[in-house]
Amino acid sequence: MVPLLSIVLATLLAGTVATFFAGARARWAALATSIVFLVEVGLLFVSYPGWPGYSGSLVPGFAEQESYAWIHIYWMHVNYTVGVDGISLVLILLTAILQLATVVYSWTEGKRPAAYFGLVTLTCLGSFGVFVALDVLLFFLFWEAVLVPMFFLIGYWGGPRRRYAALKFFVYTHVASIVMLVGLLALVFYSGATSFDFASIYAAARGLSPVVQVFLFLPLLFGFLVKFPAVPFHTWLPDAHVEAPTGGSVLLAGLLLKLGGYGLIRWAVEILPEGFSHVRPIVFGLAFLSILWGSVLALSQRDLKRMVAYSSINHMGIVLLAIGLDSSLGLLAAVLLMFAHGIVSALLFMSAGTVHHTFGTRDIPAVGGITPTTPTLSTLMMAGSLASLGLPALIGFPAEFTALVATWDGLGYLVLLPLAVLVVTAGFYLWMMQRMLFGPARGIPAGAHDVPAHEGMAMGLLVAVTVLFGVVPSLLVNVIANSPVKGFPGT
Amino acid sequence: MDALTLAAPFAPELVVLAGALLVFLLDVAGVRRLEVGGAIASAATAVAFVLVIADLGFAPLAGVRTLGAGRIDLVPGAGAAPLYAFSSLGLVFQGLFLVAAFLVALASLGRPSTERGAPIFYGLLLLATLGMLLVAIASDLIFLLLAIELTSIATYLLVGYTRRDPRSLEAAMKFYIVGALSSTLSFFGASLLFGAYGTTNLYAIRAAAGTVGYPVLALLGFGFLVAGLAFKTTLVPFHAWAVDVYDGAPSEVSAFLAGGTKKVGVFAFFLVFLGPVLFARAGGPNPFSGAPFDIGPVVQVTLAAIAVLTMTVGNVLALLQKEMKRMLAYSSISQAGYILLGVTIGTAPAIAGATLQVLAHVLMKTGAFLVVAAVASLGVGPLIDDWRGLGAQRPALSVAFALMLLSLAGVPLTIGFVSKFVLFSAAVEAQGLYVWLAVVGLLNSALSVFYYGRVLKTIFFDPAPAPRATGAVAGAAGPPPLAVGGIGYARAAAIGIIAVAIVAIGIYPQPVLGPIQSAASHFWAGGP
Repeated sequence: MVPLLSIVLATLLAGTVATFFAGARARWAALATSIVFLVEVGLLFVSYPGWPGYSGSLVPGFAEQESYAWIHIYWMHVNYTVGVDGISLVLILLTAILQLATVVYSWTEGKRPAAYFGLVTLTCLGSFGVFVALDVLLFFLFWEAVLVPMFFLIGYWGGPRRRYAALKFFVYTHVASIVMLVGLLALVFYSGATSFDFASIYAAARGLSPVVQVFLFLPLLFGFLVKFPAVPFHTWLPDAHVEAPTGGSVLLAGLLLKLGGYGLIRWAVEILPEGFSHVRPIVFGLAFLSILWGSVLALSQRDLKRMVAYSSINHMGIVLLAIGLDSSLGLLAAVLLMFAHGIVSALLFMSAGTVHHTFGTRDIPAVGGITPTTPTLSTLMMAGSLASLGLPALIGFPAEFTALVATWDGLGYLVLLPLAVLVVTAGFYLWMMQRMLFGPARGIPAGAHDVPAHEGMAMGLLVAVTVLFGVVPSLLVNVIANSPVKGFPGT
Repeated sequence: MDALTLAAPFAPELVVLAGALLVFLLDVAGVRRLEVGGAIASAATAVAFVLVIADLGFAPLAGVRTLGAGRIDLVPGAGAAPLYAFSSLGLVFQGLFLVAAFLVALASLGRPSTERGAPIFYGLLLLATLGMLLVAIASDLIFLLLAIELTSIATYLLVGYTRRDPRSLEAAMKFYIVGALSSTLSFFGASLLFGAYGTTNLYAIRAAAGTVGYPVLALLGFGFLVAGLAFKTTLVPFHAWAVDVYDGAPSEVSAFLAGGTKKVGVFAFFLVFLGPVLFARAGGPNPFSGAPFDIGPVVQVTLAAIAVLTMTVGNVLALLQKEMKRMLAYSSISQAGYILLGVTIGTAPAIAGATLQVLAHVLMKTGAFLVVAAVASLGVGPLIDDWRGLGAQRPALSVAFALMLLSLAGVPLTIGFVSKFVLFSAAVEAQGLYVWLAVVGLLNSALSVFYYGRVLKTIFFDPAPAPRATGAVAGAAGPPPLAVGGIGYARAAAIGIIAVAIVAIGIYPQPVLGPIQSAASHFWAGGP
């Protein structure tokens, strides 16, 4: 068997190193890396539907598995174990698309380009690792490997308050990571797992009593919710998103938040189902709070980027709600939502970035009627906004529709709450479009030009993805449903 | 036995001693070139390191050192009371000490060669190293304390070696007074133990404790020993001297003190407390049968309290520092607390974890102080704020420093993460009180992220001070421009070796973990 995952990892690693040392050609190295990465992910996808005929693996249901001894000391058996299922595969696809889009969008980055593109590639390497790791320590290692480059991306290339934002981001998420690590280690020790592998913990955790499961679940929940972020652990996000450079915001919103969702599904919900079922009220509470709080705050923002940042909290709240439903449909919706939000928020952050350097401000009331001047930008922004508010035929629709159906299944009339908030979400996007894109022109500097070619290409790529999976969501759904998770046909 | 056979087991110690004598002789003979001393010191430590490592079983050199002894672990039979014994854990520590000495010797070649008394520096360095090597093979209290004394006296002189600098002299004086006090405490403790058990041999004390138990005299003796060794290991509340000394000493010497000689105290803790006192932990033969009461918990709670205090106080005070060296000194104190956790827990995995943490600390702290020395040689001031914008001006040096700080903070892919992982896992495995020790340790490492992160932010994100960035002429107000030229090949090599080792071991620690694991298990099961 070809160790495809290790080959991808090696590609990204080599690409990162090459980019760091490529000097003026760094962007080409980064571009080459992302294209190869995308092709390899395509191969992964092509070989995946062959499942569930797959056999000979260590964890039934995970494809492309590899396992090598890594740290073996006393009873601690830490392995390099990787594998993918449908859930991770979809998020890996997201990683590859966003890496390519970010590199293309930032093509003219002039401030230390080698370091910039190297850090972007490194962030994607870390995310890929998180999605394929099937060993606690390997998972944590990649988890942290995302944090450090993002700290530098925000802190060096960010906006005026970047230093504060970077430090806040680092401390917040690192503390959360440590709590999560404590939870994971406690899980290993209390379950009596024979190694740090997912399979061994998964099997060992069956024997834990519900009370123990609840106590083990809570630190994991906290660690992942900070990354989500769920209200009230969200305060790092507006600062980090607003101050980060556009490429950093794209990766933050598109990838880093997904790490929280993925971690919650894979390392908490799957392993500790009993504990999860007792904690669900808390999860619902925080989910509803995030949905409401995020949309209300988004509605009240003047800064375009800040508005998109708060809408991320709102959308991730729906993801949390979908996970909390603890049904196969809810899980499917959560993964679809994460993919959709990853693509769409990236598109919106890119729009905000382009607006900022075209018009010199991101203040929504200050700029208006830009469509005649910058028709392409306006079109792309509109596509992003419409996808975000859930227009059919765009990726946001199947995701949100599934989520609402799943909520109806699980919670009955409580579905009215997210439904009502969806109206608010639609409201702030439409209101923003009305003010910025249409109406009388104002605040447009002389000589404002339309979106630069490379930025247009990056955003166009994302729009294409939005349309493709919006029209044919089964491309994703069939893969996700093949995962070895409870209730899916694959199990 | 002929002289050669007798001397063979001591080959590493003899090489270091010969190096020291050679440096002093050349100085007398008028050869005062810095490079000569540096070359001798680097070569002697490197050769000794190879000899030590060879004994740990790395083919094809295995067994060279133990020609006379026949095997590494000379566990004596009943009635034997040797002054020294080779334990594999001792050999691991010898290796660590030699790594620190080698790196410092190599990097010190970057000091200005016009400095007065330069070769003496290397002679003293080698003498201190010799003392450390002897500590690692001690099996008798008096031998142990005398070896520590040899190290201490050499380092007093090293701290005051830049005679023209009043801060250096003040630090030396302070170091000397505190050192003398701690030696007195240790020797007093040893004499009380002799009074209680009629021997100073650590095996014999253990055997005697099994039959006699722990009279008050012995408890007092252990108490004084804890205090004396705690001074050497910079444990709270015996830490106050360390910051002033690390701050005042030349940075290379600070590197040696924090990265090297401090670990002497750690090994002494292993020898004294794991042997006779903590041996009752599950699996070991119980020396407490017949004792009036189980002394183990008392000692463990005391050590645990010291460990928690040391971690916390070191971290909190590091948070408040404005000077780079003082921040590093406090962070070094907190790291000593982590290491003491291993002694407190006392299981084989914990010993392995503590030993790994010692190795990590050798690399990180030696490296950090060497970077401070290199940066100071570029004309950057002592305050953390003076390092603003260094990331853009000296990217390679800054990245190496960043790796060291990230490792100190315990970020994955660095050795600092692996060592903390093993240590805290061992604590959780030991259960009970130890789980809480792990929690405190983790909270502390979360806290430490704050000040390491702040330094990273200063170096990489803050703009350089104006006169330096614009390259304005010196003499104007504000900090002087960066010195032209590099930091020297020797320094760069030492820092580079450390940075690579931190990441390499962080990514694949097994080659280092293997020997440490077997050494720790062996030590736990039967070592002195």
